[in-house]
Amino acid sequence: MATIMMRIRGPRCFRIPADLCYNLMDLRVLREQASRVAGRALLQGGVGMSEGPTGEEREVTFLGGAAIDGAPIAYIVVLAAVVAALALLPFSVILASGGSFPVSQGVYPLVGWVLGPIAGAVATAIGRTLGVFLAPHTASVPAVTVWAALVGSFAAGSMVVGGKRKNWWIPLTLLFVVEILLFAGRAVLQNGVGVYAAVAGSFLNWSAILLFALPTRTLFARWIGSKELGRVALGLFFGTWMAAGLTHLTGTVLMYFLFNWPEEVWLLLIPIIPLENLFRCVIGTVIGTGVIAGLRAIGLVKPEHAIY
Amino acid sequence: MSEPIAVLDRVSYMYPRSRDLVLRDITLQVRRGEFLGLIGPTGAGKTTLCLTLNGVVPQFYGGRFFGHVTVAGLDTLEHPISTLAQHVGAVFQDPETQLIATSVENEIAFALENIRVPRDEIRKRISRALTAVRLEGTEARHPHELSGGQKQRLAIAAALAMQPDLLVLDEPTSQLDPIGTQEVFATVRELNRELGMSIVMASHAAEEMAEYADRIALLSSGGLVTVGTPDEIYSQVDLLEEHHLRPPQVASTFHSIWRGKADAARVPVRMEPALQELEALSSECSLRAPEMLAKPVVHGGTPLLSVRDLGYVYPDGTEALNGVSLDVHEGEYVLIIGQNGAGKTTLVKHFLSLLLPTEGAVAIGGMDSRELVVSDLAKRIGYIAQNPDSQIFSNTVGEEVSFALTNLGYSAEVVRARTQESLTAMGLLEARNRHPLSLAKGDRARIVIAAVLAMQPDTVIFDEPTTGQDFRGARYILDISRELHAAGKTVIVITHHLYLMPEYADRVIVMGKGTILLDAPIREAYQRVDLLRSTFLTPPQAVLLARHLGQIVGQQLPLLTPAEVASCLECPPPEGG
Repeated sequence: MATIMMRIRGPRCFRIPADLCYNLMDLRVLREQASRVAGRALLQGGVGMSEGPTGEEREVTFLGGAAIDGAPIAYIVVLAAVVAALALLPFSVILASGGSFPVSQGVYPLVGWVLGPIAGAVATAIGRTLGVFLAPHTASVPAVTVWAALVGSFAAGSMVVGGKRKNWWIPLTLLFVVEILLFAGRAVLQNGVGVYAAVAGSFLNWSAILLFALPTRTLFARWIGSKELGRVALGLFFGTWMAAGLTHLTGTVLMYFLFNWPEEVWLLLIPIIPLENLFRCVIGTVIGTGVIAGLRAIGLVKPEHAIY
Repeated sequence: MSEPIAVLDRVSYMYPRSRDLVLRDITLQVRRGEFLGLIGPTGAGKTTLCLTLNGVVPQFYGGRFFGHVTVAGLDTLEHPISTLAQHVGAVFQDPETQLIATSVENEIAFALENIRVPRDEIRKRISRALTAVRLEGTEARHPHELSGGQKQRLAIAAALAMQPDLLVLDEPTSQLDPIGTQEVFATVRELNRELGMSIVMASHAAEEMAEYADRIALLSSGGLVTVGTPDEIYSQVDLLEEHHLRPPQVASTFHSIWRGKADAARVPVRMEPALQELEALSSECSLRAPEMLAKPVVHGGTPLLSVRDLGYVYPDGTEALNGVSLDVHEGEYVLIIGQNGAGKTTLVKHFLSLLLPTEGAVAIGGMDSRELVVSDLAKRIGYIAQNPDSQIFSNTVGEEVSFALTNLGYSAEVVRARTQESLTAMGLLEARNRHPLSLAKGDRARIVIAAVLAMQPDTVIFDEPTTGQDFRGARYILDISRELHAAGKTVIVITHHLYLMPEYADRVIVMGKGTILLDAPIREAYQRVDLLRSTFLTPPQAVLLARHLGQIVGQQLPLLTPAEVASCLECPPPEGG
């Protein structure tokens, strides 16, 4: 049945030997029914069971619960609290504008993967806003910090393999291309930064855009959704590199318009920025692997747009 | 027969990613105004059954659901949880997980505000709910300032304020001291009697369930085994034992006296009829010298742990310990008991240098604890904390057990061998590749014990190891503690489950309000009924039966267990047996 589903992406309807026409929704229902019949047969033959359930199998749905874009409010609150708490912990200083980077930067992508793009962005924005007040030393320009965090989670949540949101990456990529053109273009054309310094200094940002625009985006998503924890960790590591790079770009383009740091600073940042992002990747991988393994083990309901 | 408030019709359920049914074809009615007790061993499906009544299973968890559950006429799969919550109040094992507000009255108001109850009505309901659970005057206090029993009663009040038709309580007393347990049961019974509220409560507290419930439903392996009155269920001692359940001690005692030959209907399951039955028996039975457990070994020499005039004040100003002095010698098995908040956990944390004295001194192996490093002590003293989840962080059971060994630099071979040994000892070998959080709470406690055992410490401290365990699980853990003791280890156990300990502990330290009230051999300590009550403890029913029997025959009978009480009575075969 799954094979059939793969083949009928285009037409809404197709003919089967019995001359019955099913649209896609009908096929899904059929597939679920087949799976239930198979499941019931499995139950009846299950270990230690003389008989299967005699009660009618019911359709299980989450009715009217408080949720944003398919993610229960409770999850959003918890992850917002995690982001806020991690905002208290600095892991690196910010050159040019002062202050320090918070550890929470390592989990913005994770929030998007766990909750989906919209709920993830909401959770991150709430958590980061709280973090601005709780730990102003990790938010050099508060509005920029919150906006960049929000975009990072949104971009991460948009790393879907299929479904209605499979093309969300296109406008996002355009946004990031515009951002890098503004950022590096302003540096080279207006502030006289050398091309080498601008290209090398924005390595994190353009590498993140490339990874996001290429099929690597869906590759990382598949890894994060893999049953093997090793692959999950790899997906988290490279996914965090990509999404944190996009977060960095979104924040930096605005910061650069405010501070216009000179070429000397660009040169200094060339080795530092990737190193800092490696820390974010480690944070995202360590926390993310534990969180995803734990969520899978507990068996709590999965948010509709989660990719883990 | 009264109209049912909840109807379960052929209910079966399977959690997501699982191929096992946790509920199997359950058909059960909860009558309006009744107190229905749910009993069963760990994994019987009690918690899942409770969660089906408010729709959390399956709406929140997902999975596969068969059959129908109707509560107050509403199908739990066709109505949102928020609607069902107005008919079904829920109270869970750990009150801490349910308390979220910064004051008692805000806690109760929270759910009411969410369903837009008018302000004046909220105020009235807060007052009524607090009166019902006897927490008047605490409105402005922070929930975390309350004792364990008070917190649980606050959670009940918060559920109560919603004016539910049905109140569901899942193991609400497992973390409470005996008096706290009785308070909760009495409160629930009062709500049931005074307000006619229907109650469903899952609990391992056999004595209290026998006393307060109208009917008992026995679950095992997800199925409903039988339903009946407490007298009908708890008098079937063999049936309970078959399902690894503990009957009330009075039932065990009379079952043993009659060597299992009595008609089950004659076996008392509550204290009062048991005392009457004992009086009747005393005229027809002959008294013989009781078979008592061996006397404790007296230890001497340099103490392993020595505490002198210990005082400890928490940073928020709470005085947790005051003038505590005691010695624990190598090879002792010490039981520490006392009310919630008596200072038991605070005391043992000093043995690991997790806390340092505010006053006085603690010496470990003759050295001042201030000079010792926690990581060094961890090799010598194993601590199994009350909440296993606070000690679990690895992705598999095997990694969890080997974590400390790896970090202490043991060779891979030693790590593998000790991990295997510990997992085998705790019956976790087959689960070694599973995520710890995928196991039941009782099993997670065993993971922590396995991790501590792998370190092969000289002293093992068990802090409330039997919380959340069924009778078999509790005995399993305590048997491990006995094996460790037999192997020469020093064992310290903190528990509220006094009835479990006579076969294990030698010495009892009774604590109350941060001080030591009594330090005596177990047989002596359990007889000090008034002193135990002063620190919110009640002795096991067997002790009370023995005291009553002693009064009847005019002789002191310091007996501890149902078997000991039964052993001193020689009775003719019972009628109808």
